[in-house]
Amino acid sequence: MIVTRGLTKRYGKTVAVDDLSFTVSPGVVTGFLGPNGSGKSTTMRMVLGLDVPDAGSAYVNGSAYADLSWPLREVGALLDAKAFHPGRSARNHLRWLAQTNDIPPARVDTVLDIVGLTAVAERRAGKFSLGMGQRLGIASALLGDPGVLLFDEPVNGLDPEGIRWVRHLLRDLASEGRTVLVSSHLINEMALTAERLVVIGRGTLIAETSVDDFTSRHQSDAVRIVTPTPQRFVAALSRAGARPSVGDDGAIVASGLSSVDIGELAAQHALTVHELTPLRASLEDVFMELTSTSVVYRAHTADEAAASDALPVR
Amino acid sequence: MTTLPLTTGRLTSGGAAARPGAWRAGLRQSLRAEWTKLVSLRSTRWTLLITVVGALLVTFLSTHGALHHSRGWYRGFDPTNQSLAGLAIGSLTLGVLGVLAMSGEYGTGTIRSSLAAMPRRGALLTAKVVLVGLGTLVIGEALGFILFFEGQAVLAGGAPTASLGQPGVLRAVALSGAFLALFALLGLGIGTVIRHTAGAIAVFAGCTLLASILLSSISESIARFAPEFIFANSVAAVVHSGDSLSVTIGIVLMLAYCAIALGLGAVLLNRRDA
Repeated sequence: MIVTRGLTKRYGKTVAVDDLSFTVSPGVVTGFLGPNGSGKSTTMRMVLGLDVPDAGSAYVNGSAYADLSWPLREVGALLDAKAFHPGRSARNHLRWLAQTNDIPPARVDTVLDIVGLTAVAERRAGKFSLGMGQRLGIASALLGDPGVLLFDEPVNGLDPEGIRWVRHLLRDLASEGRTVLVSSHLINEMALTAERLVVIGRGTLIAETSVDDFTSRHQSDAVRIVTPTPQRFVAALSRAGARPSVGDDGAIVASGLSSVDIGELAAQHALTVHELTPLRASLEDVFMELTSTSVVYRAHTADEAAASDALPVR
Repeated sequence: MTTLPLTTGRLTSGGAAARPGAWRAGLRQSLRAEWTKLVSLRSTRWTLLITVVGALLVTFLSTHGALHHSRGWYRGFDPTNQSLAGLAIGSLTLGVLGVLAMSGEYGTGTIRSSLAAMPRRGALLTAKVVLVGLGTLVIGEALGFILFFEGQAVLAGGAPTASLGQPGVLRAVALSGAFLALFALLGLGIGTVIRHTAGAIAVFAGCTLLASILLSSISESIARFAPEFIFANSVAAVVHSGDSLSVTIGIVLMLAYCAIALGLGAVLLNRRDA
């Protein structure tokens, strides 16, 4: 169980994490979702006692991290792929980590085996690829067989095979009754892995809910219609209570009525329909919409840039 | 890479069940872990190799250069001091070892693993102090005696020599070896305060070598407070010049430098985000 209450962290004038309260329960994978720079990593570092919050507090199994008797046996964390010395072998890295918490040395071989690094255990970790480094980080997290696990962007640098493996690993860990918090900026990845979501933007809580609930609550019901008589169709839609708009390509996008209702409407008014498509907003769209006001680093689209650069001609 | 079967056991059935004895992770665990860290790095072995080879070479050159001079040249000649010249190399290399013991963790990100495993930060620093201090003490003592005998063997070819039985000689050799450990601890303290390897090494070199060279060019009465000057002219000397501090004051001063660096390091380590 991870609990944060009013967690706040400032860097100078920038508020990285702002009064953040959420609870991560055991038994399910909880996705920690937010755009880059939204404060996910900072929050995780505060949970682990690495960064000191300016206000609020974080508890793991009811204690502050610094008060845990055997931290690695209660909490495992993958913070970033590079929390090891490049000159040390994978086995030696895990050996010293095990010694800090009186973890039996045999456990080192077990976790090396779990993450598939046994064959390269004696190689200097600096020679590892990003994916192998990520696996070593996951091995470190699993070392103490902890009941609480935090993974910061665990699939970074992994190949499709590795991504699938991490997904299974996270679900298996949760199904064993562990508390699993996984951060990501990719909603679709989370939809495949997580059951619950903690969504943040600019360090503040946007949603704390289940993935299913998040999806259904924020699903839009727009329908796209292509017709040779758009004006008449729009008029009919408006009278029926829908909110239609005509796009650049001449197609109508209407919300407020289902595709079934719109089909019936077309038949009543003898309107020709070439295409009738329910538009389901992807999870990604929902996420983008929710966090659009809280994105820190936004790239401007080419159109926006062109518009702002354009000089009046004549 | 093939997908491996998951063998993560439940908390209770897993290999990490609590053992009787210690009730929580503390200094004992940190000492073992820090020892593994120290010996599992190639840089440690390289540093020690450079220290030994460099020191043997410098002592050879220093004592060889003192052979076959006129009788007047040997007035005030200190064969012990001459043979310990190679320890100056050790004061630098072991100091860098001390710097790296902490700054290396920040440079590589290992510090986050270290502090997550041992959130009681004082224990981490204490373990490093004990291991770096004791390790370099053993190396320093061994090196001190080896250099002394090497130097006397060379000087026997045509210059006055010293023996451990003469007054002040054993003290100078033994304390000089131990003094190397203080350089390593000073380095560790500076590495903990500065955290960036390059910057910390620069500050360490500035405090030790440069300070004694630069201050000597200004005034010996100021330079005698510099660590390297205390080392060469107070601790490693049997024949003392007028300007140098007494051995006791020199060592107390050096201990104070270490205490300041490590104390500041401890305060900052506890206060700063990792």
